[in-house]
Amino acid sequence: MAVTKDDVLEEIRDQLEAIKVPGAKEATPDNTWSELDVDSLDLVELVKSLEDRFGVTISDDDLKPIESVGAAIELTMRLVDAKEGSPA
Amino acid sequence: MTPRASSHPGEHVDIAITGRGVVSSIAEGPDAFFDALLDRKSGVVDGSAPCSDFDPTTAMNAKAARRSDRYTQLAVCAAAQATAEAGLPNDVDPERLAVIMGTGIGGLKTLVDECEAFLGGGLRAVSPLFVPMMMPNAAAGMIAIELGAHGPSFSVSSACATGSHAIGEAKRMIERGEADVVVAGGTEAAMVPLCMAAFERMGALSREGVSRPFDKRRDGFVMGEGAGCIVLERGDLARERGAKIFGYVAGYGASSDAFHMTQPDETGRGAEKAMRAALADAGVEPSEVGYINAHGTSTPFNDKIETLAIHSVFNGGSPPVSSTKSAIGHLLGAAGAVEAVAVLGALDRGILPPTLNFGEPDPECDLDYVPDGPREAPGLELALSNSFGFGGQNACLAIRKA
Repeated sequence: MAVTKDDVLEEIRDQLEAIKVPGAKEATPDNTWSELDVDSLDLVELVKSLEDRFGVTISDDDLKPIESVGAAIELTMRLVDAKEGSPA
Repeated sequence: MTPRASSHPGEHVDIAITGRGVVSSIAEGPDAFFDALLDRKSGVVDGSAPCSDFDPTTAMNAKAARRSDRYTQLAVCAAAQATAEAGLPNDVDPERLAVIMGTGIGGLKTLVDECEAFLGGGLRAVSPLFVPMMMPNAAAGMIAIELGAHGPSFSVSSACATGSHAIGEAKRMIERGEADVVVAGGTEAAMVPLCMAAFERMGALSREGVSRPFDKRRDGFVMGEGAGCIVLERGDLARERGAKIFGYVAGYGASSDAFHMTQPDETGRGAEKAMRAALADAGVEPSEVGYINAHGTSTPFNDKIETLAIHSVFNGGSPPVSSTKSAIGHLLGAAGAVEAVAVLGALDRGILPPTLNFGEPDPECDLDYVPDGPREAPGLELALSNSFGFGGQNACLAIRKA
């Protein structure tokens, strides 16, 4: 079944919840990491959960410009699409 | 905050204690803890003394708690009690506020968990939080963050003497003029199977599972966990800001056996030297000491040699001696700090806490160990607290009534 943006958002919310970020379940694509008080160590855990769930590899270079939930969703979708060879 | 004049090295300053905190198996909070000691309450269950009811989120938010090893959680909670009692950080200059929070071992549970994760899953299975959770200075760092304390902050480590070294070095820091207020203490959460196995293999743990210091039947210590913390402060500044003073760290003495990694020097000279140094630092004679809170681990060696050392210092005139470890087990790096809080209780209320489980005297342990306590001690003004660590590292605090 094709991965949707909602799937990725749900995974991000679950991981934010797991690392005890306040308001994790209400996180929206517009939220920045700064707004959510998510730091670089949290991002390492978040990336691992996305990699494990969607079977992609997110490099440090990929991650650098990612500053919001929405940008992380876009990045993950791009990598999933590339992996599955489907058109972007 | 108006900058205050700092003390200068060599200038005499008295070191007031303006806050106390304890997390232990018998109680949380300094007054509840001392009440539990007087009630002869024991935290030992099935041969160890865990802090079963401890909830870190009473003192830190859920995210910070998740990112902290249990040893840090315990320390932050004890520090929160002590700093709240002292009115920190509101009343002091954050640039002059320091933290010395020691641990004997550090984040051992985290180390074990991450080793298992690494061996099972390789690099990607290792948490990015591993190092900041495991490192032995994490507790001091977290307390400084919580307080916004910008003075020196670090850990000290001397195994089972850690808590006393931390408090003693905090006293020195203030005397050197490097800080006006120091949040100091010790913390330990080493009750993981690996560590229990290691102490067991070493023959240090009680096979019977009973902490009975100075009793002839003693056969080792009982492992406990917890944290103790006090706020030390330049006496003049504490009085100036109207802080309640619970006692004074009057003297600190430290020494090294330089003898054996785990056994005390059989002559007791290392322990003796630490006690003499604490008395000299306080400028008092042995006869002025009304109570000794012993290291009193319940190991055959320690209790015999500590008794010998006390005899050497007090020359037949030893005051009553008791061991807090009879109630809460051995808190390793936290022991000295928790026991300092017990001493403050004894001084404040004029009551000596008992040594529990003492029933069969040992000819080689022939002091008054307050087995019948608690015992009234009217006029108690000054007490010693002994701590002796693996590595032959000894520390003694002389604590004076407020």
